[in-house]
Amino acid sequence: MQQKSWQQRLLTLPPMGYLLIFFAIPTLIMLFASFRYTGEYGGLAPWYSIENGTLAFDLTLENWQRLFETDIYLRLFFKSIGYALVTTLLCILLGYPLALMIARSQKKHRDLLLLLVILPFWSNFLVRIYAWMIIFSPNGALTQMINSLRDLLGLAPISIMYSATAVITCLVYVHLPFMVLPLYANLEKHNPALLDAAQDLGANRWRRFWRITWPLSLSGVYAGSILVFIPVLGMFAIPDLLGGTDGIMIANVIKQQFVESRDWPFGSVLSMVLTATAVLVVLLGAKIGQQGAR
Amino acid sequence: MKKLLASVVLMAATPLAIAGGQLHLFNWNDYIAEETVTAFEKSCDCQLVQDYYSSTEEMMAKLLAGASGYDVVVPTQNAVQALIKQDFLQALDKAQLSNLKNSDPGFLKRSYDPQNTYSVPYAFTTTLVGYNEKRLSELGINPGNWSIIFDPAVLEKIRGKVTVMDDAEELFAAALKYLGYSINDQDEKHLREAQKVIMKAKPYWAAFNSSSYIKELTVGNIWVAHGYSSDMVQARADAEAAARDFTINFVLPEQGAVLALDNMVIPKDSKNKTLAHQFINFMLDGKNAAALTNEIGAGNPNKAAAEFIDAEIKKQTAIFPDAATLARLETIEATSAKQRRLLNKLWTEIKIK
Repeated sequence: MQQKSWQQRLLTLPPMGYLLIFFAIPTLIMLFASFRYTGEYGGLAPWYSIENGTLAFDLTLENWQRLFETDIYLRLFFKSIGYALVTTLLCILLGYPLALMIARSQKKHRDLLLLLVILPFWSNFLVRIYAWMIIFSPNGALTQMINSLRDLLGLAPISIMYSATAVITCLVYVHLPFMVLPLYANLEKHNPALLDAAQDLGANRWRRFWRITWPLSLSGVYAGSILVFIPVLGMFAIPDLLGGTDGIMIANVIKQQFVESRDWPFGSVLSMVLTATAVLVVLLGAKIGQQGAR
Repeated sequence: MKKLLASVVLMAATPLAIAGGQLHLFNWNDYIAEETVTAFEKSCDCQLVQDYYSSTEEMMAKLLAGASGYDVVVPTQNAVQALIKQDFLQALDKAQLSNLKNSDPGFLKRSYDPQNTYSVPYAFTTTLVGYNEKRLSELGINPGNWSIIFDPAVLEKIRGKVTVMDDAEELFAAALKYLGYSINDQDEKHLREAQKVIMKAKPYWAAFNSSSYIKELTVGNIWVAHGYSSDMVQARADAEAAARDFTINFVLPEQGAVLALDNMVIPKDSKNKTLAHQFINFMLDGKNAAALTNEIGAGNPNKAAAEFIDAEIKKQTAIFPDAATLARLETIEATSAKQRRLLNKLWTEIKIK
C-alpha cells in the first residue's frame, strides 16, 4: 500500500476524532453500564463503594444473564433481523430497476430524476409516517379501495393499519432512497461499450444484464443493503406508530428500558447486542463485497 | 410518545425576544386550554413554551436523564414522590402563591408531599373506557365494566375495534382491578394473573395506543378505547363538532379505576423561578382553573373554580367523582427498580407473543 502523505492524515483526523468521541467512547460507556446495577429511581447505582476503608466493586453479570433467561429477547432479535432482511430485499427489487432507469436515461434528465428520489426528504420523517397512518386507516382511500375490490370478489374486508404489512410497507418507503442512491452512483459509471461488445458477441438483453451489469453493480448493491439493513434493524418509530399489538421490534424494547423501566443496564445490554449485530453484518457485507469485486 | 414526537416536529418554535422572557412548561399533551395560554402570555408579557409527554414514565425518563430548562412540570402524584426523593424539586415560595387558598383542602397535604412543600394540585383525571355509543348499543354491550376490554366473550363482537393504553402501569392497573385486586398490588402471582388476562384479550385489540385514540374514536375507526377521562371528553366534543352520525361517551368501570392527581412543581434548575411561581399562581386562579375543566375536561381540585364550571360537566361522576365513586378509585404509587424490572419483563412478554 502507498504511504499516506501527512496532508491525508491531517484530513482524516477530524472524522476520526468525531467517531472516537461520539461512537467509540459512548459504546464503551454502554458496555460498562451493562455490568452495573440500576439506581432506585432510574439511572445507574454507584459502581464502587468504600466500606471501612476497603474498596468494593458493585458490578454484576445479572443483566447479561437476563438476556438468556428467557428466549423472548433472542426471538425479538431474530424477528427484527427478519424485518430488516425483507425490507432490504424489497428495496433491492424496487430500487434496482429505478436506479438503472435513471442511470440509463438521458443525461439532461438525470438530475431531475435524482431530485425526485430525494424529494421525500424535504418533509420530515414523522410527518410522512403520519401520512401513511391516514392512508392505511380503515376509512382511508387505500383500504377502502382494497376492500371494495375484495367485496366484489366476495371476500371479507381486511385491515391494513396496525399490521406487519403496514410496518414493512412504511420501512421500505422510508429507506428506498438509501438503496437507489448508491446503486445509481455505481450503475452510472458503467461503460456502455461493454454492453455493446456483448451485444456484438450475440448476448441477448437478459444475458447482458446478468453477465455484465449485475456483477459490476454488486458493490452498489452491498452499499445500499447496508444503508438500509442497519437503520431498519434499529427502527422503533415505525413499529410504534403502525405496528399492531405484536408489532414491536428490538429497538422498541431498548427504548422501553431507557424510558418506561428506567433500566439503563439492561437497555445497555440490548444495545450492545444490537451494535454487535450491525457490526457483524457490515463485516460480512464488506467481505462478500470484496469477493464480488474480484 | 407518538403525540410528543409529532408535536416536537410540528412545532415551528421560533423563540422571539419577549420582554417578560420565556416560561418552559413540560406538561401532559392536551392538558392546558388554548385561551389560558394566551391569557397568561398577555398577563406576564412573556412567552409560554410548551413541551409535552404522554406518560409519566416518559417524563421521568427525560427529567432523570438530565433534561433541563423546564420551569414548571406537571407530574402525577407518584412521580412527585419520586422527584422529591431524587432532590429534583425546588421548595415553593408560598408568599408568591396568593391563590393557593383556592385549592380544595381535600387535595392538599397528601402522603406524597405532606406539607405541599414542593407541589400544588393542578387537575386530576381518571383512566376509564371511552366508547362509541351507537355501535355498542347496537351490539348490546355494557361498557361500564372492565370486561369490555378483557373478556374474550365480549371482545368477540368488537374484535379489532378496541385500543388499550401503551402503558404497562395503566394497563396492569386495569387488569388488576378487573381481577378484583388493588392497583398497587405487587404480588408477582397476581401480576402474572393480570398478564394472563391481558394475553388472552390481546388478539382482539387493534393496538396499544396512548396518544392517538382521541382521533381514532372521533373518526370511528375504534369503538372502545382505554384512556384518560380528559381525552374522552375531548373525543366526545370533537365527534360532536364534526357532526358524526355517532356519539362518543365514557364511563368509569364498576370495578374501579386509576385516579391521577397532577401537580405543578418547579425543578431546581429552573432559570426563571419568579415567572414559574407567577404561572402556578395564575393557574390556581378560579377562572383559569375552570378552563381546565370546561375546555379540557379534567377534574378540578380548585374550590374557586366551581362557580365557573359548566353545570353539565359537574354532574358527571367520571370527571367529578362523588364519595361513592371516589371510594372505587385508587392512585398509583411510586415503584422500586425491582418492581419496574418485573413489570417490564411481563410487559415485553405480552408485546412479542
